[in-house]
Amino acid sequence: MSKNVALAADGNAAALKAENKKSFWKQVKNQKTLILLSIPFVVYVIIFCYVPLVGWIMAFQNYKPAKGLLNSEFVGLDKFKRLFGVAPFPKNDVFLGVIRNTLAMGLINLVLGTVCAIAFAILLSEFRSRGGKKVIQTISYLPHFLSWVIVAGIVFDVLSMENGMLNKLLVGLGIVDKGVNWLAEPKYFWWIVAFTNLWKETGWNSIIYLAAITSINPDLYEAASIDGAGRLSRIWHITLPGLKPTILILLIMNVGNVLNAGFDIQYLLGNGLVQRYSQTIDIYVLKYGISQGDYSIGTAAGIFKSLVSIILIFLANRTAKAMGEEHLF
Amino acid sequence: MKKIKSIAAFTLALAMMAGMGACGKTDSDSDSKGGSANNAGGGSVEVDEDGIKTFTAFFAVPGNEVDKGNRVQEAIAKEIGARCEMKWLTGQTADEAVGIMIAGEEYPDFIDGSTGYSKLLDAGALIPLDEYWDDYPNIKNFYSEAEWNSVKVDGHVYIVPQFGNDYMYSTDCVHNDEAFWIQTRVLKWDNYPKIETLDEYFDLIERYLEANPTMEDGTPNIGYEILCDDWRYFCLENAPFFLDGYPNDGCCIVDRDTHKAIDYNTTPTAKRYFQKLNEEYKKGIIDPETFTMNYDTYISKLSTGRVCGMVDQHWDFNDAELAIKSQGLDDNTYVPVGVVIDKGIEEHYHSGSTLDVSNGVGITTSCKDIPGALKFMNDLLDPKILTLRNWGEKDVDYLVGDDGIFYRTDEMRSNANDQTYINANLCPYAYFPNYKGMDHDEINACNPSSQPSEFYESLPEPVKECFDAYGVQTYVQMTNKSGENAPWYPMWSYSNTFTADTDYGLAKVNMDEVKHEYLPKVVIADDFDAAWDEYMSVYNERCDIDCYLNALDTEIQRRIDVAEGNS
Repeated sequence: MSKNVALAADGNAAALKAENKKSFWKQVKNQKTLILLSIPFVVYVIIFCYVPLVGWIMAFQNYKPAKGLLNSEFVGLDKFKRLFGVAPFPKNDVFLGVIRNTLAMGLINLVLGTVCAIAFAILLSEFRSRGGKKVIQTISYLPHFLSWVIVAGIVFDVLSMENGMLNKLLVGLGIVDKGVNWLAEPKYFWWIVAFTNLWKETGWNSIIYLAAITSINPDLYEAASIDGAGRLSRIWHITLPGLKPTILILLIMNVGNVLNAGFDIQYLLGNGLVQRYSQTIDIYVLKYGISQGDYSIGTAAGIFKSLVSIILIFLANRTAKAMGEEHLF
Repeated sequence: MKKIKSIAAFTLALAMMAGMGACGKTDSDSDSKGGSANNAGGGSVEVDEDGIKTFTAFFAVPGNEVDKGNRVQEAIAKEIGARCEMKWLTGQTADEAVGIMIAGEEYPDFIDGSTGYSKLLDAGALIPLDEYWDDYPNIKNFYSEAEWNSVKVDGHVYIVPQFGNDYMYSTDCVHNDEAFWIQTRVLKWDNYPKIETLDEYFDLIERYLEANPTMEDGTPNIGYEILCDDWRYFCLENAPFFLDGYPNDGCCIVDRDTHKAIDYNTTPTAKRYFQKLNEEYKKGIIDPETFTMNYDTYISKLSTGRVCGMVDQHWDFNDAELAIKSQGLDDNTYVPVGVVIDKGIEEHYHSGSTLDVSNGVGITTSCKDIPGALKFMNDLLDPKILTLRNWGEKDVDYLVGDDGIFYRTDEMRSNANDQTYINANLCPYAYFPNYKGMDHDEINACNPSSQPSEFYESLPEPVKECFDAYGVQTYVQMTNKSGENAPWYPMWSYSNTFTADTDYGLAKVNMDEVKHEYLPKVVIADDFDAAWDEYMSVYNERCDIDCYLNALDTEIQRRIDVAEGNS
């Protein structure tokens, strides 16, 4: 929805930048239809995204549901101190480990996800047969519509020691002589998550890049081939530069999402042996906030996550700006 | 335009993040505390054209949902004018399910929060039953006044513990508790030897596996499974106190003389037990996938009948045993053995009925018709309805002999073992208050599986043969007689109420977290001693054991005082 507003406003972009403060009301008048149209969405965002922020008070209280927000006892930053295990609370590095896992899995997902989606989109766009392209595209989207529970089941089956496809393949090829217990080894966990994500989302994520490729002016390709550019150099000199703005905007937005590295897959595939590498912030919030009944510490962890996300977005945006590239704000 | 675009995008990004903080309620006024304001005019409980009310219930334990229009459920509804749609725990832990309900402040009419009970109390989600129960004698008289006193929290009764009430005397035939279980085919193969120690138990499984690597159809046999999924990892971690001859206090050993709590995780027995598991793992007796499987995988492995043995609570693998029976693999069901670490220790696997004050069904503040709900619970305790719940309908689910003794035909028995049939036809309202022991006719036992004649007849042939070989008639007799429960028993009804915002609660969270990670590591370690030492050093560093044991000591003393009438 906000996108529509943004696109609609596109028309007077140049004019808008030149305007100064005096003509603010004039602008409002000019765009009153647009502003009216956007009001419902702004209200929506306020109600569902800003009003609930009142709940953040919980993080500074020893919150008890029966007493409510108004009557719970305020404890200052105690919950945050407990979270990080700093004095006067017992030393505890669980949450630090959780942050490391979340960042690591988030970054792996971000890098692998972006690179593969772009590569896949380019490969698809170079596909000659229309029919074949459609079929491949459809097949590659399908896993996106599976729920994580089903995906986790498939992963379990593929990695199983007894009848797992992967172990059978490796043993058959003589690479290992005994099945590997993939899910019991902490060092594999992040990669299992990353590849599962890839399998599920690459097709879906490539849609937006595919759309961007379609919008590149075909004349450019024609001109390039007349100049003697081969397929690879056309991709390198035309497709990729044409995609750059899209890639950067999506990267910046996704950097803010790095800490949303996931919940479902880690929760479903995790077990005691790998828990030190499998727990993400969301799982931590569920475990301590909901399961252990300490809503305050769960909220504190959530706030921490939001703060880091905001910082990451600003950093990414700054970097893009400094490089003179497309940026958000 | 860039500005507008950026604000929009930024808002979107914020929106995604704000989700985390959004689970708190923002409005804390709640008029439902007293409940009475809500039920004026009969409330708005769903009533169908026959005038039958439908209540809702959630039980935070795994269970089977009965089908809509379940035969016995409808028969009961006709008698008492109400039914209840029951939901059970699926895919979550009890704490998660309850925690989420509390965050949303929406509850069903009836709830059993299981380990989430203390959270429900904290949230003020339950109504005080004792303020209403004068008109509902079946509930009020379900326990004695002294027993109700032990259920009370802040002077009020919020839940009715469903189990642990024997009418007349106990008639338990099934050991529905924890034990080392072993398949009858394994015992039969070795001519029903006497298994007393952990070493003997694993030795038998080892020899059996060597002689019988596969089942008849060629499926490889699995020697031993250890379920380690989330809260169910008790199958791995709590055996040490049983091996030392103590009952299932769950969170500790209670010294019988000094009445002090002892940490069972660090005893010499614990080390020997895990060392044994480590040896068996290396020998390939324990399933290599055991620590990565979840509960569903575990049940499906057990259901194939290929697993020779495991430690578990009977209620936890009951579904698997039903599946084994329904495939006709009668050789492959389990019997409990009371294994200890050294010969001469007296085992205490079976405990008599206990009043578990930390579990029970309560009525929530969301209930629109509190009198109706109480009447429903009251009516379910009516002798006639009890028989319907526990035995089913006369002449359909059971027959009555001339002497008034209930019995069943073979078809009725196999029906009662068939999950599909059960879901469509039987409705014991299992997590509503129920009597164990005898039926109110004082002739029959409360249900078929407690009726000695009926119980023995319904056993698969191989189990009968096994029981005959050991000279027993019931599962319960496979282990020692339970004897009197200690006044503090069971301590888990206390530790279940811990939350992470107390020091001893946090100590327990940390213990669980460390054990969850290191115990599997210790079992699969190449070098057991090094792994054990590492586990012990992390355990001692991360967990405030003294604080934890102190809290337990205080509670043990409190319970002893209550029992002696000193409080």
